[in-house]
Amino acid sequence: MRLSDMEIGDKGEVTGLKVEGAVRRRIMDMGLIKGTRFKVLRVAPLGDPMEIFFKGLYLTLRRQEAEGVMVQRNGGVGDGSPMSGGQRNRWQWGARP
Amino acid sequence: MKELTVALAGNPNCGKSSLFNALTGAHQKVGNFPGVTIEKYEGHCDFGGYRIRVVDLPGTYSLTPYSPEEIVTRQYLIEERPDVVVNVIEGPNLERSLLLTTQLMEMEVDFLVALNMMDEVEEQGISIETKQLQQLLGCHIVPTSAKKMTGIDALLNHIVRVGTGKIEIQKNKLFFRPALEERINEIASLVHHEPELQGFNSRWLAIKLLESDKEAYREVRQYPVWVKVEVVLQEAMKEVRRQDDSDPEELIAEDRNAFIRGAMKECVRGPKERPATMTDYIDMVVLNRLLGLPVFLLVVWAVFHLTFSLGAPAMDALSSLFALAANAVAPLLPNEMLRSILVDGVIAGVGGVLVFLPNIVLLFIGLSFLEASGYMARAAFVIDRVMHRFGLHGKSFIPMITGFGCSIPAIMATRTLQSRTDRLVTIMIIPFMSCGAKLPVYVLLCGAFFSPAMAGNILFGIYLLGIAVGLWTAWVLKSTVLGSDSEPFVMELPPYRWPTFGSVIFQARAKALMYVKKAGTLILAAVVLIWVAGNYPKNPELDGAFAVRSAEIQADSGMTPAEKEQLSGELGRMLRSDQLAYSFAGRAGMLMEPVLRPIGFDWRIGIALVTGLAAKEVVVSTMATIYALSAEEGSADLKATLQRDPSFNKATALSLMVFVLLYLPCMAALGVMKKEVGRWKPVLLYSVYSLSIAWVMSFIVYRTALLIL
Repeated sequence: MRLSDMEIGDKGEVTGLKVEGAVRRRIMDMGLIKGTRFKVLRVAPLGDPMEIFFKGLYLTLRRQEAEGVMVQRNGGVGDGSPMSGGQRNRWQWGARP
Repeated sequence: MKELTVALAGNPNCGKSSLFNALTGAHQKVGNFPGVTIEKYEGHCDFGGYRIRVVDLPGTYSLTPYSPEEIVTRQYLIEERPDVVVNVIEGPNLERSLLLTTQLMEMEVDFLVALNMMDEVEEQGISIETKQLQQLLGCHIVPTSAKKMTGIDALLNHIVRVGTGKIEIQKNKLFFRPALEERINEIASLVHHEPELQGFNSRWLAIKLLESDKEAYREVRQYPVWVKVEVVLQEAMKEVRRQDDSDPEELIAEDRNAFIRGAMKECVRGPKERPATMTDYIDMVVLNRLLGLPVFLLVVWAVFHLTFSLGAPAMDALSSLFALAANAVAPLLPNEMLRSILVDGVIAGVGGVLVFLPNIVLLFIGLSFLEASGYMARAAFVIDRVMHRFGLHGKSFIPMITGFGCSIPAIMATRTLQSRTDRLVTIMIIPFMSCGAKLPVYVLLCGAFFSPAMAGNILFGIYLLGIAVGLWTAWVLKSTVLGSDSEPFVMELPPYRWPTFGSVIFQARAKALMYVKKAGTLILAAVVLIWVAGNYPKNPELDGAFAVRSAEIQADSGMTPAEKEQLSGELGRMLRSDQLAYSFAGRAGMLMEPVLRPIGFDWRIGIALVTGLAAKEVVVSTMATIYALSAEEGSADLKATLQRDPSFNKATALSLMVFVLLYLPCMAALGVMKKEVGRWKPVLLYSVYSLSIAWVMSFIVYRTALLIL
């Protein structure tokens, strides 16, 4: 799935980049490459840029750019990663990936 | 004393500037990197018998040549070859900071790592084994904290020892997967044998070529070895695509990351769950879906208010100071021409520019504070959706809003934008945001021709028209000439920090100095030019005729002294009016009349428009002069005169307001525009554009108004 399809509070892992040129380079330079685990924090009040968190970095990107980042959702049932105890959708103060 | 050059390199917001301040103290100056509007901060300090020159390179995440900051950093490292590079690393976020470090390792420059923000590292309960990390990176690591001022001496000590060769840098190599290593070695040996490329590190060049780095391509393509290199590169691409369904660029990034992850595993121990920081809590409110926009508007309003209300008294004080200076200087100069050029030209002109100084200082204090505290990026995040619709970046918003006060600080504020095209587009639309100096013109015309109730609506309409034309211009520019390389909105929201007082003041001071320098040179020249145009050539016949008439009045015994006074005053005003008509500006006005006729203006308005280039409020004072009114009689009388004048009606007034809104900004703004853009061509193109759009819009408004009103 695409990063732009993730919902607020979802955790995931980058599986690949499907963009070219400057945007791709930029995303890679920020450290968002295959294997990076992240969490979707929020979207802007008007709904467009989204904010994700990984490696101590709060990154914002437009949906347009997020469409080029292929991801898989983690923490769900049957994804092979350790279960998160069903707390995926529960908001916790200060919870971080 | 021997000199050592040290360059500070690091991610944005890694505390590089604070460290720079801690190292150099007050010995700083701001310059520009050649060819770009990126500020270059330089400073020096003396340590251990050496003068250490410190250059603060712009913050970058990487050394790929995409953003101007990255290009500047890279060029500096390659061409200037500083004695020591200090890689400033954000201790709490070691993992991502190390990406730049790996690239410095590849370049094989003499560098050492300043592990900054150690106080925060300890607070968060993270332990970093620096010895181990030192082994892995092959360079020395000095723990520092710019905030607590710890480790600064140790860092200086290391800088001197590395710079004088007392510490050998191991220059560890970062090894990639075997398939890549093979290609790297192959290309490196080819490049190595090209005599023209001896200046480069061949392994680094090989890695860059595999990364499809356009600068590296450009460099190598000039030489015959390219033929062989290209074959290897294409093979490598094909092979990687076949085996991994990827490209070398991505594999190299992955391998760097793998190295970093390994280093993190070996050297860093910390709490598994990162505790929520202050930033998380603040953002829950500030970026909240409901509160985000109100908070944003409040902040923008506060900055705007701070700039223009707090600045107003200082501005008034400055302008009365200049008036005092003019009055003081005038009697000292016997020569009329000299007096006129000094008092009416230089003092009035430069004074007119310098009065904006308080506003500029205040605005930049506000903006530096927002930038350094971390809110600026968040403001862009909140408003980006709206701005993006018109092809702009979220960060364009604050300069645009500032434009309602004055275009000059607004144009300077676009430096917060990273992409050149975004900056260019924002600069081009700022003058359409109706600035404070245009207000007197609207007030005069609205007051003269419309009822107070109507006047408010018209004023509002004028401002809206400005915004609409600005956004339309942005949209057109983005979807035609400047569309191709738009800045991707992939931006870090830095953690909130309380900015240090010193750095905020330093930034504001640098901007203020730049503005004053501008006022002293280009703007001064422009203002004097316009003054000359308004006063020369003198018409001796006119002078003679008036002298005769004036003598007649004085000699007339049938009048009381009061009557004489009034008559000669009127005579003087008529002389000024006729003189202005005879001057270059007047002739320009008459020359323009055929063009201005269709939008309802005669030559007199033409003159006012020309002199208005010095500053927009001058339009009003020129109109007062040309309609032969004394300055003391003020705008109430000018209103009455305009109402009586047959060539003026409601349609003309509307048309003139639209024209003043849209036509060329003042000389000062044009000068700053040139300075920020760096070339004349875009500024000239912009001038033509704004004149045409002003004409077209005025024509539409005038003709429509004639039909309706």
